[in-house]
Amino acid sequence: MSTDLLERLASRKLLVVTGKGGVGKTSVTAVLGRLLATSRRRVLVFEVDPRENLHQMLGIPPSGGEVTEAGRGLFLQNLKPRQVLDSIVRERLKLEALARRVLESPVYRHFSEGAPGLKEVGILGHALRLLRGIGRRGKPMDLVILDAPATGHGVSLLTAPRLLSEVIEKGPFGDMGRELSEFVSDPGQVAVVVVTGAEEMPVDEALELRQSLRERFGREPELLVVNGLYPPYPAEGESPQEDEGMRLWRRRRRLNEKELARLVASWDGPRVELPKLPMDRGPELVNALVTCFRAQLQERTA
Amino acid sequence: MKLLTDRHPLLIVVGSGGVGKTTLAASLGVVSAQQGRDTLVMTFDPSLRLKDALGVGAEAKERAVRVETSTRGRLDASLLDARGTFDKLVERYAPDDEARDRILGNRFYRHLAGNLAGILEYMAVEKLFEVAQKGEYRQVILDTPPTRQALDFLEAPQRIVSFLDSGALKIALKSWFDDEGRLKATSKLGFLGRRFERFLDDIVGLDLLRDMAEFFQAFGPLFDGFRERAQKVQKLLHSKQTLFVLVSGPGEERIPDTLFFARRLQEGGFPLGPVVVNRFHPMEAVPAGDPDAAAGGDPCTVDGRRLLSWLAERDREGLEQLAGLLAGRPLAALPLLPREPTSLPALEAMGRELLDRLG
Repeated sequence: MSTDLLERLASRKLLVVTGKGGVGKTSVTAVLGRLLATSRRRVLVFEVDPRENLHQMLGIPPSGGEVTEAGRGLFLQNLKPRQVLDSIVRERLKLEALARRVLESPVYRHFSEGAPGLKEVGILGHALRLLRGIGRRGKPMDLVILDAPATGHGVSLLTAPRLLSEVIEKGPFGDMGRELSEFVSDPGQVAVVVVTGAEEMPVDEALELRQSLRERFGREPELLVVNGLYPPYPAEGESPQEDEGMRLWRRRRRLNEKELARLVASWDGPRVELPKLPMDRGPELVNALVTCFRAQLQERTA
Repeated sequence: MKLLTDRHPLLIVVGSGGVGKTTLAASLGVVSAQQGRDTLVMTFDPSLRLKDALGVGAEAKERAVRVETSTRGRLDASLLDARGTFDKLVERYAPDDEARDRILGNRFYRHLAGNLAGILEYMAVEKLFEVAQKGEYRQVILDTPPTRQALDFLEAPQRIVSFLDSGALKIALKSWFDDEGRLKATSKLGFLGRRFERFLDDIVGLDLLRDMAEFFQAFGPLFDGFRERAQKVQKLLHSKQTLFVLVSGPGEERIPDTLFFARRLQEGGFPLGPVVVNRFHPMEAVPAGDPDAAAGGDPCTVDGRRLLSWLAERDREGLEQLAGLLAGRPLAALPLLPREPTSLPALEAMGRELLDRLG
């Protein structure tokens, strides 16, 4: 199954990387980007956060909202959901003055803050535009990997288009809602990657996430990444006398193993485990994790 | 600095997701009750085991639940439920049953999954105010939502007030549609109005606008009470009774987050208390032996000794940098424990450790 895993991921149009805050979604997004981008496959990692982080993992300057190249076949963009919505209004209203008045009006501001699911739809809509090529000269991307915002569950991102198309029946937002609703419910095009740590809260959240994916979409995450594992503790007899540090290592590892077991007991899909490494956030760490990721795939094939 | 004194009956625990805010709030709660003060811990989304430790279940959404302890003071815990609080607020301020049902049944209100002017975040603060006003507790500890923009909720009262005062509301409160279902404002404007109406219909659909207009109209009678309350809540958050505890993860990479939070709190005029760096890898817990001896070879199989020693060094540097950048602000660090504190005694020990380290 495992050699195909990368191919299966690469055959999608959009990967939604989701999980609880602080588990390393951004690192995993960067790792997947490096793994899947080739000279023949254009991959864009997409971050929606007021403060940029992904560029640091890829070793390039902040993208400042533009599509920026980060190595062979790999691109990066950071956007705010607002910017996406505003550009839709601008496209609709050819007159710049009129567009400005609409965009600056408090009614529009409060509406775009409050309308159910609009921000999420903006994010997905932008991903779709990237896949089609923005503007006349924008070359389309083959795959977009979304570092999903930590707020709320990844599922609410996926259900947003349906919600929006129910509330807004007509017009560009309504059309966009319907189109995206079809897009995200196609498992051949959109896959979910769940990232978690092997600790109680992240595992709870990962299990909940999977449950609601099942209930609301009738589907499974394509991949589970368990991140930040303490290394295996030496077997009895091999370990030196236990001091405070060894005890911390042993207990932390045991906690990882226990939570991992709980996770695996109800999750038989593809899974990759990534170690906690003594490296600062940055391209070096991403490269090491890419190596560990690949090694695990080979191990399982063997 | 002293954290649990009667000078600050309200403690608000803030910080990014995954840093252990909820556990810290609970641990301060246990110690406060142990000191003989009736205490309430209000939390958002505790882990199952923490819920077990405190003995709270779904009923804590409805009311504060007594925690079974032998502490000298009473310890209660409650879970925050923004939607439920909003519904109750509507019920309280609605002039009659019909007005209430109109709001609760409104399609726009029901789908208010997004966050109109931060109204759901505001509900957390609202709840805090309710508790503070009743004065049942000597110490209230509020755990805040686990979002990256956790501070949004602090601005929520201000945003609600400015929203209520803004032209948006005045427009929204007018009756938008005439008897024929046409937009009133635009029907007077002739051709231009029809064009605008068509544009609105194109962009968002008139049905949605109708729902929204209806929502605001139904909400209209509630606004005065709501507005007054929002102003009081805002005052409370800035008052001397309140103290913010900022929790941070360890390591240099967390420093920008923490500074960002600290700056926002100070710029907003909120009373910022100590900064707590949680779950750092302590130097005392670096295993003996030469860590570098185990280095090299496969990057994926790291020796735990080497990892812990690297992490301890990283966290020490991070802490030092943070202390420098925070310039004299009270700062305490809590070590990563071999086991997560999920029992009442473990929570108490953690709370005491924090108070000790704060001096």
